[in-house]
Amino acid sequence: MTFHGFILRNALRNRRRMLLTLLSVAVSMFLLVTLLVALRELTSPPVGVGASLRIAVPSKVSLATSLPARQRPVLERMPGVRAVTPLTWFGGRLNGEESFNLPQFGIDPTRFREVFAEAILSDTEQQAWMSSRTACIVGRDIAARHGISVGDRINLQGDIYPVDLELTVAAIYGIDGAAAADSIFFHHTYFDEAMGNPGTVGMWWVLAESAEAVPGLIDRINAAFANTSAEVRAETERAFQLGFLSMLANLKLLIGSICAVVVFTLALVTGSTMSMAIRERFRELSVLKALGYRRREIYACILAESFGLSLSGGFLGAAAAALLYSSQVVTKATRGLFPVFEVTPRIVGTALFVAAALGIAASLLPARAIARLSVVEGLRSLD
Amino acid sequence: MRVPLHYHLRNAITRWRSTVATVAGIGLVVFVYVAMQSMAAGIAKVGANTGDPSNLLVTRRGATSESTSQITLEQFRILRHAPEIARDPGGEPLISADLALVINIPRITGEGNANAVVRGVSPRGRELRPQVALVAGRWFEPGRREVIASQRMARRFADLGIGQSFQAGGQRLTVTGHFEGARSAFDSEIWMDADEARALFDRSNYSSLLLRPADAAAAAAFADRLDRDKRLKLRAIPETEYYSKQTGSAETFKKLGAFLAAIMSVGATFAAMNTLYAAVAARTREVGTLRVLGFRRRAILTGFMIEGILLAVAGGILGCAAAGLVGTALAGAGFSFGTFSPETFSESVFELRVTTPLVLQGLLFSALVGAAGSLLPALRASRLPVIAALRSL
Repeated sequence: MTFHGFILRNALRNRRRMLLTLLSVAVSMFLLVTLLVALRELTSPPVGVGASLRIAVPSKVSLATSLPARQRPVLERMPGVRAVTPLTWFGGRLNGEESFNLPQFGIDPTRFREVFAEAILSDTEQQAWMSSRTACIVGRDIAARHGISVGDRINLQGDIYPVDLELTVAAIYGIDGAAAADSIFFHHTYFDEAMGNPGTVGMWWVLAESAEAVPGLIDRINAAFANTSAEVRAETERAFQLGFLSMLANLKLLIGSICAVVVFTLALVTGSTMSMAIRERFRELSVLKALGYRRREIYACILAESFGLSLSGGFLGAAAAALLYSSQVVTKATRGLFPVFEVTPRIVGTALFVAAALGIAASLLPARAIARLSVVEGLRSLD
Repeated sequence: MRVPLHYHLRNAITRWRSTVATVAGIGLVVFVYVAMQSMAAGIAKVGANTGDPSNLLVTRRGATSESTSQITLEQFRILRHAPEIARDPGGEPLISADLALVINIPRITGEGNANAVVRGVSPRGRELRPQVALVAGRWFEPGRREVIASQRMARRFADLGIGQSFQAGGQRLTVTGHFEGARSAFDSEIWMDADEARALFDRSNYSSLLLRPADAAAAAAFADRLDRDKRLKLRAIPETEYYSKQTGSAETFKKLGAFLAAIMSVGATFAAMNTLYAAVAARTREVGTLRVLGFRRRAILTGFMIEGILLAVAGGILGCAAAGLVGTALAGAGFSFGTFSPETFSESVFELRVTTPLVLQGLLFSALVGAAGSLLPALRASRLPVIAALRSL
């Protein structure tokens, strides 16, 4: 038997234990990958098509403070601006039902496709939306979730605003890329009318002519409204989204700590399994020693077993996670809270690295026991 | 049925390495579960802590929170002298129109900005919210750009130290004092004068009315009158009820805790199975001996299961104790957690609360993991043929 064969046979001699340890490592690795993916999504939001050209312009006070509609012509006249649209978060209940993460926005339909270029909406669909003041478009994902189809009448009951909106679904739109199409867009003018034309909007979205124009434009927008009664905070779409995520506060720290606990638990499990495996074999290892194998060689044998076990477990867990999450199951289960939930190569790499480190760490305790092992005592031991 | 309990206990001690690993593994799972649930409990506690049960809070009908509610000056004028409202010795009604709005200010850590609630409060509103007590500095003065911040907020946000100032609504606001809100929702707020806030943030309306009805009957009558009033479109509920419903963010922690516990317990069960299988394998001869001594199969099964469950519950106790210790230590150090509250659209602070039901849940949970992990090894031990078991080395 070769040395490799010896290691393999040793690893497989207690199949049940090997399987249980493997599964235990795999489950923990699965969890670790899940947490890392969630953490990644919480810290770096996905970048959509044309995102680098979009500038978010909310009120400087906070997103919950509205802006005067009269700012629009000022924005439109600025050099470097291609298009401007208001966007107002309505936050109502769809047909009176409490629903989580179902964004509804008032928007200028004539600018929608230009500013949000990743939206898929055909010319005829666009025309159908424009044709009626009360028409709206619904994202494909929520249309599927709530069983909405073209021609349906939907009712949005206002929680934030004291009005209800009666809307007709003109089209179902999709999103180019991995992000979920999970919003309802309606005519801002219809909302204004329902509210009695207060002359306010939630925020502005500005599309710059080129990526080079963006930094200068942001400065100009901020300067234009500085020291007015409605100061704004213009920022890139990415900064805007990061600001949103920063509101989750200690959640990042929390997930990070849980990752650490999971890894520590894993170390305990694999470490104790390896100790168990080695203790059973004290007698054989003594025989090996008696035959002239050196300590280093025996350690290499244990290391290989422990390393192989935890790495296969890690691989299994990471593969299961990658497979499961490729079907966007989390996106659906969390109703769009995590729109992408993608297992990136980097995360797989991190998980495998952790698994490898675990394998090495788990072999250290038994290795010390072997170093101490006296051949005579080992040969005498029964258990 | 006699069960060789003493034998199992001694065994767990003899094989201390795998015992420690199993106990610690299960302990960590329980720790994560209890810690998560205690965050949810902490958020719920803040909600339950806030307000005075004899106060009524009036908001716009349909508004889910104060920050999405609006009360016009006209509405305030109509309700101000309602007969149901109690009066102070000077004959003035105990009612306050306040403003709640959200501002975006930088965190103390430098990691971007977060939303915080600014409450514009009238002098009467201060009287109606006795939970808020100044602990340092002085109150703001109406007519000046001054605020007081909760001590907990001052630890989380930059520029909220006494004497410091920050930008909001185009003006600089100076912090003149710090308050403690008796672990209520007010601990997540910054307070200033109501009319000052309306002017500064260009709001013509108030957000809510807080009032003290003369008695319980008057409170019911007032709420009923508002419900039936088609013109005002307002709603009055007890202040405590309003705040106890502002706990949507607790759901995140509850779900996250349940999800983590579900997955981690699978891993912990496998690990426990490993330990017990090894224990059974190493003790084959002893099991045979016990059988010869007259212990029944069932006793062997029960014995091993009890061994597994005891190990797991020991882990559970450790996990709960660790969560309790962490909670107490953090609270002692003045650290409070913060999370985004969907109702106020801003950050709310809370503390870990390891409650008795949570501890019981944690222990039950660990017992289940122990039972699941020990069932198969125990079955195996109980089915060992006696003669073969005795012969084995």
